[in-house]
Amino acid sequence: MASKQSTVASFVEAAPPGELSNVVADIKALAPNEVQSLEPAFKKYNEEQYTTVKVPGSSGAVLISAYNALADGRYYDSASQTSFEVDHASQKASNPQSHPLDSPNADLIHSLHKSFSTTASEHFPSSTIGIYPSDSTIALLLVANKYSPQNFWNGRWRSTYLFSPASNTLTGTIKVDVHYYEDGNVRMSASKKVEVAVGSGAEGVVRAIGKAENAFQEELNKAFGALAEGSFKGLRRQLPVTRQRVEWEKVGGYRLGKDIGGR
Amino acid sequence: MPATTNTSEIITWLILSLIYFGGGDADLWTTIFIIDDLLDWLEHWMQPGQPKALEEDSEGIKQYHAQPYEMADPFDAALDLLRRLPPSSTQQNLNGIISLRPDLEDDLLSSVDVALTARRCPKSGRDYLCCDYNRDGNSYRSPWSNTFEPPIEPDDAAELIPGGRVRRMEEALNAGVDVYRELYYEGGVSSAYLWALDEGFAGVVLFKKTASGAGKGGWDSIHVLEVNEAATKRSAHYKLTSTVILDLGLSSSSIDNLDLAGNLTRQTQSDMSISGFRDSEVEQGHVVNIGRMVEDMETRMRNLLQEVYFGKAKDVVGDLRSIQPLSEAERDKAAHRDVISKMGR
Repeated sequence: MASKQSTVASFVEAAPPGELSNVVADIKALAPNEVQSLEPAFKKYNEEQYTTVKVPGSSGAVLISAYNALADGRYYDSASQTSFEVDHASQKASNPQSHPLDSPNADLIHSLHKSFSTTASEHFPSSTIGIYPSDSTIALLLVANKYSPQNFWNGRWRSTYLFSPASNTLTGTIKVDVHYYEDGNVRMSASKKVEVAVGSGAEGVVRAIGKAENAFQEELNKAFGALAEGSFKGLRRQLPVTRQRVEWEKVGGYRLGKDIGGR
Repeated sequence: MPATTNTSEIITWLILSLIYFGGGDADLWTTIFIIDDLLDWLEHWMQPGQPKALEEDSEGIKQYHAQPYEMADPFDAALDLLRRLPPSSTQQNLNGIISLRPDLEDDLLSSVDVALTARRCPKSGRDYLCCDYNRDGNSYRSPWSNTFEPPIEPDDAAELIPGGRVRRMEEALNAGVDVYRELYYEGGVSSAYLWALDEGFAGVVLFKKTASGAGKGGWDSIHVLEVNEAATKRSAHYKLTSTVILDLGLSSSSIDNLDLAGNLTRQTQSDMSISGFRDSEVEQGHVVNIGRMVEDMETRMRNLLQEVYFGKAKDVVGDLRSIQPLSEAERDKAAHRDVISKMGR
């Protein structure tokens, strides 16, 4: 039997995009004593969901992930070359300090920043990117959110790529999560692993990313259609084969004979 | 209308005016029903506290909170939580919430819809669906044999097993719903259970279908109905609350994993007439009205699900990311606007 702590932690982990505060409020009402144990769950959520924070003193948002986590619990931003503290419960950044980028791929990272943010703004109406060295590879991260709680839906797109300059290959995953909750609860999640060879330089990498994401999105749109025409229809038809609605007077199973026979 | 917003004062005023205006021998039950309806209306209209609060989170997005944090009723919080967490794990989440608040167990089990389970009725050899309404402890009543499996105490059985009018209607409804199931689902399992109320009867109609072949999928529908018969028995008021639980998914070479799961609930009510005078005709009339209502609702919900599951999900992904570069899309839009305005001249 799972402990109360792990139960509430699992609720936080599964919270839909844009609704973490609602989930936490519900946990507060159900198990107020467990709320203080949620700090590690918040950290895990923020790092997995690429939560964005505003670092005091810099413009723009910075995303939080395992790739830009520092040993002392702080995080850093390679674009502005600052490090900062994060309060995971409130998702607020503080205490910025200078953090020069120290990596053999620093130049490549710099040019990737330019190309990747151009491509991102070409396809995502709103997004946040992050590029960080990771051992001998470079991690390229992107998160795009769309919240429409007044219409009862929220969505999140996360791309994670690892580019290896030595072998010129790009691997990664694309994950999409959508929640619709008007008089119900509908959740869609889709994911795809990416593995491609890329042309050289920042342009090559970014072009490969754009291609992979376009292909994924087109396949996803087709998959929606396939589900609608295939599995969904196979569950319940729109109309019977007779193309007529049921004649309930005839099928009610009520036999007049039973009645005449007396009861 | 008094100027006060104190609910109990209003109720007192209403009771007194109804008794006064209705005459000294005003029908007490009519008065109570009128007050009940008025209270529902008042509750809706006079929501205590602020129904909405806007709050900005660190991502600079304004969050809409359905309730302010102070109004934290645990049962409402549990229902809200189940509406936010992934619907494909509703059963586990329900168990988790119950482990945190065992006092909510009974209320939650009777209010939360989870995917149905089927059982084989040993006496009839047919499958039937299990829910709270045909359950007693660990035993379930088969609508085909009208007995509990495993058997229960005769005293309990006498209370819980329907007979007479209710059982006749239940049998007829199961027969009708069985035909409906074959026509629309071409497979699957259906069950209907009815029980008597003071002024009518209530029931539940259930369907379950699992996908065969490529891709996983499941449809579960739960229709809870309430029938209030008019004193004249020439018509009745039917209320229906329907929930469909749908689970779809596929894996392919181009998409590793696509999961689409969820549930939608809709309600409707209407007055329908009953033709015929004999009891048997009235009973059949109810079965026909219920059947038609369920069919209408399911068809509407199926179309709504198609729109919501596929249409909405696709739209949201399109809002997150545009395949066509946004600068191109903007140029197209501007060119389009240009053409429209030129046509206007």
